[in-house]
Amino acid sequence: MKDEEIDEVLKKVARAPYDLASETLQRVADSIKPSLRPVRPLPPTWVMTGGLIVVCAAVSLAGAARAGFFGFEKMDLLERSLIFPALVVLACVAGNGFIHEMIPGSLRRVSPGALVGLGSAALLSVFAFLFRDYRTDHFVSVGIVCLLTGLLHAIPAALLSWLLLRRGFALNPVSAGLAAGTLGGLAGVGVLELHCPNFQAAHVLVWHTAVVPVSGAAGALVAWMLRFRAGSGARERTNPE
Amino acid sequence: MGPRVHLTAGNDLREHAGTDKDCKKTFQLMHPDSNLEILMARYQQGDFGAATDLIERISPQLHRLFAAQSVNRADADDLLQETWLRIHKVRHTYRPGEPALPWFYAIARHVRVDHYRKSLRTTGGERQMEAMSKGAATYPAESDHADGLEALLAPLPDSQREVIEMLKVVGMSLEEVARATSSSVGSVKQKVHRAYKKLRETMSARGSGRGKTEDCRER
Repeated sequence: MKDEEIDEVLKKVARAPYDLASETLQRVADSIKPSLRPVRPLPPTWVMTGGLIVVCAAVSLAGAARAGFFGFEKMDLLERSLIFPALVVLACVAGNGFIHEMIPGSLRRVSPGALVGLGSAALLSVFAFLFRDYRTDHFVSVGIVCLLTGLLHAIPAALLSWLLLRRGFALNPVSAGLAAGTLGGLAGVGVLELHCPNFQAAHVLVWHTAVVPVSGAAGALVAWMLRFRAGSGARERTNPE
Repeated sequence: MGPRVHLTAGNDLREHAGTDKDCKKTFQLMHPDSNLEILMARYQQGDFGAATDLIERISPQLHRLFAAQSVNRADADDLLQETWLRIHKVRHTYRPGEPALPWFYAIARHVRVDHYRKSLRTTGGERQMEAMSKGAATYPAESDHADGLEALLAPLPDSQREVIEMLKVVGMSLEEVARATSSSVGSVKQKVHRAYKKLRETMSARGSGRGKTEDCRER
């Protein structure tokens, strides 16, 4: 049997009328009528992406201003001109992904999981190209401080981003949490690049880059827990025993 | 209220106008209120007539989607009601200029999945899953559409069935289906390919089965 024949069969079957009781339609119309009032649609994607970039930049700059711009001062022109534009581009992509997760019917070009992979891989490439000091002094102790600093700044960035898109509707909260966490993670990396003067390749590659996947995973976990809690609440309401 | 177009599921606006661009333009000029996107924009402005028009146009398609995958018609009615309440609650998330149909279907899918999860939680998981799968298989036979779309698509898994329905019955484009299912165009193509493979096998098996029966009768 050919595909065209299947198409024909499907078309024939689809042409059959589908009856739906007018009472059902009336009931639906009646249920929405009392609360029908004008609403303001969400702004265009570029406006929301711009807002998210501003939020991330503000968090990064505020964090670095508090801790000091030691990393930025130590960088040469090439490092500055590669790292920060790369972070802005990745934040644009992550912001876009987050927006699409919050708007039903959006065309998803990159899944949130791929976003984490893409972000981490891009950062690894840039860092591996720029940093050639392969010493590993105090690798774990200093690294954990950097990871925690990045994550501490990722939290407000992710929360503010979520606040900015609070009028959206996440069809899949876990994916939305992953995207928000990734965006926050990029803001955290921004703080580290501005602040951290440790340019040892292993340190930057492992601990700075790790902020993105860890933050993304944390965002997904929080979203999953919230959904689970909401589900348990609903279950208790329907079945109090 | 705008002019009404009598539509049946699978025989919607796109069937009349969507395949040919010129024809679509003419149709829109003749019926300025007929476009779903325009109706949606008016619905956002609080126009009850536009809301009613949308309900009349979209509901049969959504109901068919639910009926093909839920236990019975009453469940499909409940899901339809729940979907419209959700649509109403988040109608501000539709952005003028974007295709409206994928937006509706994305919310309908969400409601269906949500309902499925809830039913798994409230009644025993395995028992319910069994009932759902049995129900999905038996529903078409109980309904008036025994030889209809539901029966035809019954061998397909849910994910492939919904893609085929959106693509071939509703007449959505690959990109629109990707939007509605929160997946990529490539993933939709892959599902369609697999679904066609399965449909081909099933139809060929049915055809040969019928052939054998007819041979026996002749003898």
